[in-house]
Amino acid sequence: MYSLIWLVPIVPFAGFLLLAFAGRYLPRRAVAIIGPGAVGLSAAVMLLISGQFLAAPPAGYAYEQTLWSWIATGGLEVGFTLYLDPLSVVMGCVITVVGFLIHVYATAYMAEDEGYSKFFAYMNLFVGAMLLLVLGQNLLVLYLGWEGVGLCSYLLIGFWYKKPENGAAAMKAFIVTRIGDVALLIGLFLLVVQFGTLDIPAILAAAPGAWAVGAPAAVAAALLLLGGAVGKSAQLPLQTWLPDAMAGPTPVSALIHAATMVTAGVYLIARLHALFALAPGALLLVGIIGAATLLLAAFSALAQHDLKRILAYSTISQLGYMFLALGVGAWTAALFHFMTHAFFKALLFLGAGAIIHSLRDEQNIFRMGGLRRRLPAVYWTFLAGALALAAAPLITAGFYSKDLILFAAWVSPVGNRWLWGAGLLGAFLTALYTFRMVFLVFHGPERTAPHGRPGPAMTVPLMILALLSLLGGFVETPADLGGVHLFSSFLGHALPGLAAHGSPALEAALQLLSTVAVLGGIALAYQLYLRRREATARWLARPAPDAARRLLLAGWGFDWLYDRLFVRPFVWLATVNKDDSVDAFFRGLARASLLLHGALSRAQTGNLRWYAVGFALGVMALLAIVVFR
Amino acid sequence: MFSITGLLTISGILFVAGAAALITRRNAVAALMGVELMLNAANLNFVAGWRYFWPERLDAHVAVLLVITVAAAEAAVGLAIILNLYRKFGTVDLEQIRLMRG
Amino acid sequence: MTHAQLTALLPVILLAGTAVALLLVQAITRSHRVTAGVTLAGLAAALVAVTRALPQGATPVTALLTIDRFALLYTGLLALIGIGLTLLSFLYLAGRTRLTGAYYILFTLALAGGAVLASSAHFAAFFLGLEMISVSLFALAAYRRDDPAGIEAGMKYLVLAGVATAVLLFGAALLYARYGTMAFAALGTAIAPGAGDPLTLAGIALVVAGIGFKLTLAPFHLWAPDVYEGAPAPVTGFIATISKAAVFALLLRLFTQVHLREHPALFAIFATLAIASIFAGNLLGLRQMNLKRVLAYSSVANMGYLLIAFLAGGPAGAIAATFYLTAYLPALLGIFTLLTALSGRERDADAIADYAGLAWRRPVLAAAFTVLLLSLAGIPLTGGFIGKFYVALTGVSAALAGSPAFWALVGALVVGSVIGLYYYLRIVLAFFQRTPAGEEPAAITRRVPDAAAIVLTLSTLAVLWLGVLPGNTLTLISLLVEEWFR
Repeated sequence: MYSLIWLVPIVPFAGFLLLAFAGRYLPRRAVAIIGPGAVGLSAAVMLLISGQFLAAPPAGYAYEQTLWSWIATGGLEVGFTLYLDPLSVVMGCVITVVGFLIHVYATAYMAEDEGYSKFFAYMNLFVGAMLLLVLGQNLLVLYLGWEGVGLCSYLLIGFWYKKPENGAAAMKAFIVTRIGDVALLIGLFLLVVQFGTLDIPAILAAAPGAWAVGAPAAVAAALLLLGGAVGKSAQLPLQTWLPDAMAGPTPVSALIHAATMVTAGVYLIARLHALFALAPGALLLVGIIGAATLLLAAFSALAQHDLKRILAYSTISQLGYMFLALGVGAWTAALFHFMTHAFFKALLFLGAGAIIHSLRDEQNIFRMGGLRRRLPAVYWTFLAGALALAAAPLITAGFYSKDLILFAAWVSPVGNRWLWGAGLLGAFLTALYTFRMVFLVFHGPERTAPHGRPGPAMTVPLMILALLSLLGGFVETPADLGGVHLFSSFLGHALPGLAAHGSPALEAALQLLSTVAVLGGIALAYQLYLRRREATARWLARPAPDAARRLLLAGWGFDWLYDRLFVRPFVWLATVNKDDSVDAFFRGLARASLLLHGALSRAQTGNLRWYAVGFALGVMALLAIVVFR
Repeated sequence: MFSITGLLTISGILFVAGAAALITRRNAVAALMGVELMLNAANLNFVAGWRYFWPERLDAHVAVLLVITVAAAEAAVGLAIILNLYRKFGTVDLEQIRLMRG
Repeated sequence: MTHAQLTALLPVILLAGTAVALLLVQAITRSHRVTAGVTLAGLAAALVAVTRALPQGATPVTALLTIDRFALLYTGLLALIGIGLTLLSFLYLAGRTRLTGAYYILFTLALAGGAVLASSAHFAAFFLGLEMISVSLFALAAYRRDDPAGIEAGMKYLVLAGVATAVLLFGAALLYARYGTMAFAALGTAIAPGAGDPLTLAGIALVVAGIGFKLTLAPFHLWAPDVYEGAPAPVTGFIATISKAAVFALLLRLFTQVHLREHPALFAIFATLAIASIFAGNLLGLRQMNLKRVLAYSSVANMGYLLIAFLAGGPAGAIAATFYLTAYLPALLGIFTLLTALSGRERDADAIADYAGLAWRRPVLAAAFTVLLLSLAGIPLTGGFIGKFYVALTGVSAALAGSPAFWALVGALVVGSVIGLYYYLRIVLAFFQRTPAGEEPAAITRRVPDAAAIVLTLSTLAVLWLGVLPGNTLTLISLLVEEWFR
């Protein structure tokens, strides 16, 4: 059964090829079956394999399958190899299942779009590349997937290319993540040079022996890899691309910029955890970046009025939680939150898409309202997602995963109270902005009338995701609430567990604190945005709050900063260098080549006797070399 | 009768003469003759080697026979091509046969 | 002759026998189809015979030939390309001339000569094989009696090849005079690594000059563009692929016994030839308007690259060189297939302008052609890239192992490839030219016959396969070549 693992990434690629080359000639129904079908088939295989993995795990909890030998030179042997262990099982299942649901949703969402087959071709390509990323056994396959998802992100953000802003957003995403990619590439080179191999298991096994804890090479490698992760996962300081990436169609935002691609950074750090364990400074930096980002993004989400931008900042913030977890050594907690986040964030995005769709592309929450009566299915599923995001106690998956992270931040030997504090404040803010969104969109008076209700293709995935958002957390519950440890024990075979444990009483106390924060946030949102809406609006119109609001709206001004710091000098340099002084060298080369060409060409006179002379001269030259050497 | 250096010198001169004939003559048939001369200079070399260094071996004899035979075949084909050349170009002057160049 | 020797010799016998059979067939019927069919059958039989002879180890057959796995590999390669070229010739000759019989006889004889070259272990076999190929090609190049360019090409080829052969023989004779043997193995052991006496050095230099002519190494390449341009397209294909591969096989065999790197004079000769070829080939191709001439210069440069692997020596060098050839030959075959298929009655479609707009009219053909050109240029995902990669690898390994001169060679490889990319891309660019409707070149609208389409498809697939999954082929080549070095 494990030998079928190659099907998982290949089927979406096949779907891409089919749709890319023949999609134009196929009827919409066929495309609607092929696109989601490919991912669905992948999901089915993945689930079957996972089932077998749970029931009868392979030796060492790892399975490798080499499809072919890619590079086989004396010094470096790299195969196109897939790797199955609990970590890749979890990632693969989430990617394929959530991906499948989003594809089904998209068949209805994109139904009126003329690029229907192109859309599903790109989406399939993306899923294939993402699966390569998480199933890759060596850094080359991982990098191939990494670059592939970056490309697809670019293609899909700019999908509606006729509007120039979309193209600009796609460019921005590509360029900013590229900065991270360069760091990643250098980091990979470092690893290859040090270990002579690109195999991840081999590197992880050899690293503790080769590098002492805190060795400069280890820290350098870890920091470079962190650079790559920060770019892809939109953390500080490379987070500016994600809010603009909302220019793409909502299924794209759901799949790529919520559930999967942006988590690639989290996966990278988790996969190479042994390296980070050797560089505690880098790991601490991971945690600090996570904490800072989660707060910064949460504050920004408070001030947004575009529904998708709220969710975008929310994603950045939740990714910050995952980084925070990684930073304190709670690898399992980070992945647990990844899983629950994939469920509820995809749900929220798809729900937002349904709203935007029926409001004929209205995205400003201040022009929405009262939709809970008109779009009940969307309302209840969205509410489930919102509760999970806000980590409403006990009933949502988000609660269990966020709680695990906060607990780890407190008790981990490398955690500290500040990180925990940031997480707690973040929980409060999350609840606040989430329910600000819910109340403004679904409650209160109706400002824009919706047109029709979403059909089953859209609502069924919403419902499935809502169920997962509520029930998905029960695979891992804290000691005082049942002590279920299915998730962590499964992942424990691939990732080290948390070193310290606290008492159940401590756990309960911390849970109480976070519950207070969450309920407090919801209550405050209720007051500000439901009961006293006009008062809130008047208060926000005053100079100081308004200035603060505008700063948060602009994401703390990072775009402005980067524009002044990097973009303008670069453009100036490019303009000044218009005649391209460096190119002069190459132009000189070209001219020299043409000169030489002319000279040599004149030797081809077409005259036979001349050729014979040339031959004779050649012979004499050889003899001369031989004699004088 | 001759020393080895003498024979080698003669074959060298013949070789160069053949090359010179090829280079300086404009007539295609003369060029072919030059090639033949060069081939036979090489034959002379084989014979010189046999005579002065390896009299018990017969390799040189066989080689010379092969060369003569093949040279004859080459000359036959060459003359056939020259015939066609004359038919198409009206001349066998190599200076005037320069359709392709550069 | 023992049974083993007979089995080993069977491919050559079959090839020569096919030529004889064709002579007999001519007496019975002049049908083009029958003639081509018999040729194909003979080549296919030779291919089968190669596989039957493989399990045997190295088999000396008379003192002239040693038929080992290396020779059989090359013979098989030649037969395969030969089959493709036969199909091309069939398409080309049909409708252009009624004298088709002689063509196939000469063709098969030339192939037999190539097989002899690949297996030769003695200067006599070298000479015989070389002349079998050369004389046949003279006649084949001038085959179209109504085409002045072809006759001129044949003339030039004849005279210059005659000179080259004479030079080669002179050198062989000098070596014979010095060492008393013409067998490669014996010469290899006899020539001491630092041998500096004039007879040896001059002899080797002259032999190299003769080989250099056939391999279109600079400065012996002057004949190539004119002959490539004037000869009929399938014949040019033959010269570009089979005669090069066969002579290169011989070069490998001859000089493997003599360890080149220890002999500074020999190394210097070949290094000079390599660098000169790389630069001359790439520079000369820059502004060519004629596709066949471009291919001629391209082959000059490619032979230069091959010499780098050859110079590096050892099993790695031989494997790299053989792989390079294995990727190079199908690319050329594919290009010549297209050339032949799109050629008109009066003139071959050999001007680059003939392909203007190919991408808009026949996108699939343009795509295939582009893949083949990119393989020659050495772009990743094609066999040419892997070949160049391995050549560069052997060069760098040699440089690191103590011969710093290799850095110059690898540097030349890099610079040359960059320069050369220009003229390949120029052709691809021509595909995308937009010509006003009605002014399209006639070539791109011609229907491609099925046989040509099959050959083209197979060649393109081979090139792509070698570029993406080179592993199996490399292992095969290593196995067949390794035996040599034991």
